[in-house]
Amino acid sequence: MNENELLVARERLAARQTELLNALLSNGPVPAGFDEQRLNVERRALLSKRRGIVRMLGPAVADELGDRFRPLFDAYAVEHPRRAGSRAREDAASFAEWCRASGELSAERKARWKFWQSN
Amino acid sequence: MVGIKDLGVGIGWRSEIDLTVERLPGVDFVEVVAENLHIGHLPESVTLLLERGVPVLPHAVSLSLGGADPVDLHRVEHLGAVAEAVGAPMVSDHVCFVRAGGLDSGHLMPVPRTKDALDVLVANVKLAQANLPVPLALENVAALLEWPDGELSEGQFLAELVERTDCWLLVDVANLYANARNIGTDPERFLDEIPLERLAYVHVAGGEQHGDIYHDTHAHAVLPEVLEVLDELCSRVAPPGVLLERDDNYPSDTEIATELAAIRAVVDKHRG
Repeated sequence: MNENELLVARERLAARQTELLNALLSNGPVPAGFDEQRLNVERRALLSKRRGIVRMLGPAVADELGDRFRPLFDAYAVEHPRRAGSRAREDAASFAEWCRASGELSAERKARWKFWQSN
Repeated sequence: MVGIKDLGVGIGWRSEIDLTVERLPGVDFVEVVAENLHIGHLPESVTLLLERGVPVLPHAVSLSLGGADPVDLHRVEHLGAVAEAVGAPMVSDHVCFVRAGGLDSGHLMPVPRTKDALDVLVANVKLAQANLPVPLALENVAALLEWPDGELSEGQFLAELVERTDCWLLVDVANLYANARNIGTDPERFLDEIPLERLAYVHVAGGEQHGDIYHDTHAHAVLPEVLEVLDELCSRVAPPGVLLERDDNYPSDTEIATELAAIRAVVDKHRG
């Protein structure tokens, strides 16, 4: 195949993969032909993996939020799907910042104090 | 090109179980997740294993070779640098896409088994191969959902990939089992269709059944059914190596040793 054919194949594939990730990561419409129930299973699996990583990277935030951690994270995640090239640590920091901005988490100074105490 | 020499039975090295991996008997080789290593700052434990002569194989999770975008050469370069730092004979990643449309799924997503997807994957793999110092092996992933318009079976898709790129295959029997449970893949047909002479090595991992879905968690025990798929594979070919992956909810050393012994028993059974 020539370069032009490859470029066209890349474009068609990009459209399909983007549509699927939008459905899975930011509650976009279900792409044609997919089983909606399975899409929901995949959506929950991806969310659960991301939530687990953020909990592991920011245990103090998760502890402070307690039972609110999960619903808050899930709301944050749909609003802020991870950008390509971003790091998991940035995701954890951005979630903490989002919680502070909405008053769900105390000011950063206290979080740092807790970090020092735990070390 | 010759395959890698006999590797034996191994385990995925993770910082959380570094001491376990060091002291467990019967660890013939290890894998490291390439993205977690920094060139010039290898973990002490990995250096120790290298000094003992234990082969260390870099395994990547972020190349997104099945993604629509051309492969990111910075990521390929890092993988190659890790391979050189640990003197690895081979590196690996997955037949999957991770990123699309500016988003990161955070996971290994299945690609549609269409001509378009295969053409793009082949182009990306060739570009990666041209920029790597050692051969590349590609692994089948576990899928929770199926793309609607697959033109090829998973085995046919991988066979085409090997035919067109001369890559090696890393067969994950737990992923194969997961696909059999979740999307109706036939493991025997899969093993019939892939070129077993291009088998680099095999992955085994644990998981959990939730309702009608099997989750490939790498955080639970290896199911006997997964060892049965390994058994089926070993009845067709002697795998150059078999590696256990455990990524979370780490059990005791004894439990890990038992799982490694169970894997070795299956492999040895067929070596007579």
